[in-house]
Amino acid sequence: MIPFELSEPDTFAEAVSLLDPEDPTIRPIAGGTALMLMMKSNVFSPSRLVSLRGVETRYSEVDLTPEGGIRAGALARLGTLERHAGIVGAFPVLADTLRILSNVRVRNVATVGGNLAHADPHMDLPPVLLALDASVTAISPSGQRMIPIGDLFAGYYETSLAPDELIGELSVPAQNGRVSAYIKCTTRSAHDWPALGVAVSLDIAEGTIVDARVVVSAAVEKPTRMQDAEIALKGASVSEAAFRAAGEAAAVAADVISDVRGSAPYKRQLIRVNVARALAKATSSGGMGS
Amino acid sequence: MPQTRTISFTLNGRPVNAEIEAHHTVVELLQERFALFGARESCGQGLCGCCTVKVDGEAVSGCLYLASFVDGASVDTIEGMATSGGLDPIQEAFIEAGAFQCGFCTSGFILMTQRLLEEHPDPTPDKIKSYLSGNLCRCGTYPEIIKAVQLASSKRRASKAAA
Ligand SMILES: Cc1cc2nc3c(=O)[nH]c(=O)nc-3n(C[C@H](O)[C@H](O)[C@H](O)COP(=O)(O)OP(=O)(O)OC[C@H]3O[C@@H](n4cnc5c(N)ncnc54)[C@H](O)[C@@H]3O)c2cc1C
Ligand code: FES
Ligand code: FES
Repeated sequence: MIPFELSEPDTFAEAVSLLDPEDPTIRPIAGGTALMLMMKSNVFSPSRLVSLRGVETRYSEVDLTPEGGIRAGALARLGTLERHAGIVGAFPVLADTLRILSNVRVRNVATVGGNLAHADPHMDLPPVLLALDASVTAISPSGQRMIPIGDLFAGYYETSLAPDELIGELSVPAQNGRVSAYIKCTTRSAHDWPALGVAVSLDIAEGTIVDARVVVSAAVEKPTRMQDAEIALKGASVSEAAFRAAGEAAAVAADVISDVRGSAPYKRQLIRVNVARALAKATSSGGMGS
Repeated sequence: MPQTRTISFTLNGRPVNAEIEAHHTVVELLQERFALFGARESCGQGLCGCCTVKVDGEAVSGCLYLASFVDGASVDTIEGMATSGGLDPIQEAFIEAGAFQCGFCTSGFILMTQRLLEEHPDPTPDKIKSYLSGNLCRCGTYPEIIKAVQLASSKRRASKAAA
């Protein structure tokens, strides 16, 4: 790797102040798992990294809120979320997703904030968090603002964060009986990046779908809610036919990208099938309780 | 001039210092400053586990971990596993099960197995496969590795029962 300087501030506020909106070669580093890959391959050569690892410990903590949601500091490890007993119980879809995200060593080091700020469209947590209607708190010299997950991702490896703005924490609201599921569809090996990710969340009352969120990722530029599919589901009864109609609507509407993991028509077919499967998974016992 | 710094940490139970540069990885630190070659870089991307070390008790990939980040931490490597009393039961199990051919991947598999058995003392084959899915063995000794983990699990339980 090309040499760089490293700053290790003790407070989050100091970390924010060390970023320079005019200088893109100064970047924050958290777990470093994504940055190290970019630096080793010389895709990115920073002049200075600002380590967030020494900031106040509350930024590493994960709690269930009294309302039943999640509050996770940006420096919380993915492994901490995965093993948190309250999350395993109340958000089984998150626990399921984390188990298949990378490997134990990466999850021991990678952080919630680094995961979201990296904005690689193939990542697994962003579509799930979008389906769960999560948001982040972003902190910059001019203050603090709340960004819904859907607005955080601006494009391929792009977020709506300002250059001197950091993710401070993640909030996931209580699900109040909604059911959800995620399907990661890899086409080469189980450990490859997915060709498609599908995350869904449903509010169901007496066998009728009151509200649906259907998110497609990896096959598209950024995690995206499929409104046509959501409209197709709203008011429908929980049925194979409704799930298939939603899959069809999503396959038609998605702005699919061809790459080494499959052509656009192939991925469209994956969407058609896997949106229906994810909805079936959410409504089987696997999605319950979240 | 690259910025150098002195870090202090505990290495296999011993307090040590090292002078490093900010861009050095843990693998470089161990090999160049301490002549420890058990953790070695192979894929360099977090995928294969040949560079596995434990930092404050948790397994990490030394190839993706900045040396600066172990300042103040406790680092354990394969070299610290055997005691004057002999090999660790996990090491014995890998030998008895013949769970390697060239041995390049073995130190990583053994450290991961140690963490696996601390978390899940009696793991199912599925648990073993998912926990070790981030470790690759090019010689393809996977069936023997799974046997070695099961053997290590029963050795550990037997020695606990005897203690
Ligand atoms: C071997 C391997 C396999 C992987 N497999 C998967 C997988 O299957 N699924 C998956 O989803 N992901 C996978 N990943 C990606 C992994 O999830 C990310 O590398 C990780 O989440 C990044 O977190 P980090 O803390 O290490 O980020 P860092 O590398 O520290 O940072 C990543 C980016 O975020 C910025 N950043 C960090 N923290 C903040 C903050 N608080 N605010 C603003 N910006 C910030 C950094 O400047 C950088 O641009 C894999 C990675 C590896 C190495
Ligand atoms: S060399 Fe570090 S995981 Fe392969
Ligand atoms: S024994 Fe040769 S790589 Fe595993």
